[in-house]
Amino acid sequence: MFRAGKLSVAVMALLALGGGFLGVSAAAASQPLAQPQAAVTGETYVIGTDTTFAPFEYRKDGELTGIDMDLIRGIAKSQGFTVEIKSLGFDAALQALQSNQVDGVIAGMSITDERELIFDFSDPYFDSGVQMAVAEDNTEITGYSDLAGETVVAKRGSEGETFANSIKDEYDFTVKALADSATMYDDVKAGNSVAVFDDYPVLAYGINQNNGLKSVTEKEQGSSYGFAVNKGQNPELLAAFNTGLADLKDNGEYQAILDTYLEQPAPAAASGFFGLLSDSMPALMKGLGLTLLATGLSILIALVLGVLFGFFTVSESRVLRGIASVYVSIFRGTPLLVQAFFFYFGLPQLTGQSIDVLTAGVLTLSLNAGAYMTEIVRGGIQSVDPGQTEAGRSLGLGYVTTMRRVVLPQAVKIMTPSFINQFVMTLKDTSLLAVIGFAELTYQGQQIYAANFRTGETLLIVAALYFIVINLLTMLSNKLDKRFNK
Amino acid sequence: MSKISVKGLRKSFGSNEVLKGLDVEITEGEVVCVIGPSGSGKSTFLRCLNKLDELSAGTVIVDGFNLSDKTVDLNEVRQHIGMVFQHFNLFPHMTVLQNIMLAPTELKRESKADARATALKLLDRVGLADKATARPAQLSGGQKQRVAIARSLAVNPDIMLFDEATSALDPEMVGEVLQVIRDLAAEGMTMVVVTHEMGFAREVADRVIFMADGVIVEEGTPAQLFGNPQQERTQDFLSKVL
Ligand SMILES: Nc1ncnc2c1ncn2[C@@H]1O[C@H](COP(=O)(O)OP(=O)(O)OP(=O)(O)O)[C@@H](O)[C@H]1O
Ligand SMILES: [Mg+2]
Repeated sequence: MFRAGKLSVAVMALLALGGGFLGVSAAAASQPLAQPQAAVTGETYVIGTDTTFAPFEYRKDGELTGIDMDLIRGIAKSQGFTVEIKSLGFDAALQALQSNQVDGVIAGMSITDERELIFDFSDPYFDSGVQMAVAEDNTEITGYSDLAGETVVAKRGSEGETFANSIKDEYDFTVKALADSATMYDDVKAGNSVAVFDDYPVLAYGINQNNGLKSVTEKEQGSSYGFAVNKGQNPELLAAFNTGLADLKDNGEYQAILDTYLEQPAPAAASGFFGLLSDSMPALMKGLGLTLLATGLSILIALVLGVLFGFFTVSESRVLRGIASVYVSIFRGTPLLVQAFFFYFGLPQLTGQSIDVLTAGVLTLSLNAGAYMTEIVRGGIQSVDPGQTEAGRSLGLGYVTTMRRVVLPQAVKIMTPSFINQFVMTLKDTSLLAVIGFAELTYQGQQIYAANFRTGETLLIVAALYFIVINLLTMLSNKLDKRFNK
Repeated sequence: MSKISVKGLRKSFGSNEVLKGLDVEITEGEVVCVIGPSGSGKSTFLRCLNKLDELSAGTVIVDGFNLSDKTVDLNEVRQHIGMVFQHFNLFPHMTVLQNIMLAPTELKRESKADARATALKLLDRVGLADKATARPAQLSGGQKQRVAIARSLAVNPDIMLFDEATSALDPEMVGEVLQVIRDLAAEGMTMVVVTHEMGFAREVADRVIFMADGVIVEEGTPAQLFGNPQQERTQDFLSKVL
């Protein structure tokens, strides 16, 4: 698989340039491979992996499972070491490996020249490739030559897209790129495209899960997946992996693992809607928790920003007014999604300081909501009769006292409904953070239908959760508003 | 002794010169009524006396404080000058009592208990002892204006400024407010009263100033100004309002 944010590729390439020599010399200096069994016995290794990349790693009933998981656990058992698995996400796992926060990464990762500069790879443990699939009831398309004049879909930036583009002129079809497998499969089922080009194992797993598709061509030979350690680090772990892999291949366990996920049509007992509801609840609740956390933090910070810049907008200083108006126009004048991308991907590139996804998400939402809060505060203060300020000042009260005792209590009352509105908007906006991989409610929903392909039902549940929470919070806020602002 | 001394006062809003050089001396205990057509600058003049409006030029000395001096503590000065507005400007989120107690307590001039006692006394004085816990919205216009006067008096000012204090009132309520002002005059309070009530000006004023187009056209005792105006502009104005 060729996933990997452009960012991490760039960062890795940079590190490879800077640290390449160091890494190589460290590798040369490390002792020749010791007997692996002896070296790793009794050790515990921390292994990083992706969050969801079915069938290599995904959660089933809350447990991490998949080909990678079964393999690494099987190898650990055969070689007598223990693994502690951290489900970090693909980019994060690679970054953790580079900074030695994990000892190894197994994440359906293609062995590429670029990555070999900074990591040491095991023997390939899986040969991937691209395969084409069509809707189950489609009898017209049986090969590439039937695609003439049709549209096919492939995952953006994937081997599938590269392959489809390489043959589209020959067979005269159009390639459309989408972001993830579940959406692509829905696109084919809905008839928007006639076929999908996807990673063979992902596709095979989906078909195995009754995603409504069937494969009609042989897989095209593609890249190989490998287990990686940081360059020059943990050579004994790498050696143990290779030995263990060979063992599992010899005793048939390796094939059994592949068959479990790719061959045997062991359809997850297609549970009804309520089965899906109860299965997905734990993950969705975790997501909802993060949604509320991000909303709460963002709203608090936005409130502070809004009050600060709101006062700037009504201040007598031209400079302060200018600062506030620039701030507001920047954050109101650009899409939230662009802001989120900027803070998560752009800013680290500019500063060289990586930023975790919660921080980036809260930063985005609070700066964005802060701009709207600024306008709410300005509007609230300006809607208070200037005569009120004059009365306060003419009594000899200072600016601050007049604001605090006379203007603000009246402004807050005017502002409260807008505040509640902004609160709801921000809560809904958290769903946009799914695109930067923040594991909030929408993201959890996407993860669930990425694994079970029940897009419609899952999204219904997600939407219902938002609806319930938002309405409860709105009711609560209105109650409080009535109580304190009578 | 001069309580208010204004020399060469000019005030512009942008390119619009509203006050074009005023000279006024007001002595302690004097009641000065300011009359004149709409837009002549009466309110602006009053607002320059406690610097709610910045001065463009000239000097204003009030109760010994030079307002043209940038370093003067305006909050201190304003505690010596009470101001009553046409639209009352009571604080709607506070009770009548809280309105009156706000400045004395915030300015740490009085303890809460003392401020409360003072406030009740002032309310009694303006005839509203029974309205202490009411909200402004529950009062009539005349009652609101009397509360506003009590609120100004709570910081114990030496000078009171009234800007058309009765213009927003229904006719039957004008009397009760004028009575309060009349009482203050009788107690010797120095006052500048902008008013359209010519009868009242004639009755309580020691001196009447007639303003038009940002200048003082004519001033004198009520008898002189109302009985025997010298300027054509004054005669013209009086013929319209009397
Ligand atoms: N804040 C301001 N900005 C610009 N112009 C102003 C401002 N305040 C007053 N003016 C102008 O100054 C002039 C004098 O206004 P002012 O309120 O002092 O008149 P006035 O004599 O009190 O009139 P009225 O009897 O209607 O109350 C008017 O032309 C008015 O438009
Ligand atoms: Mg006026």
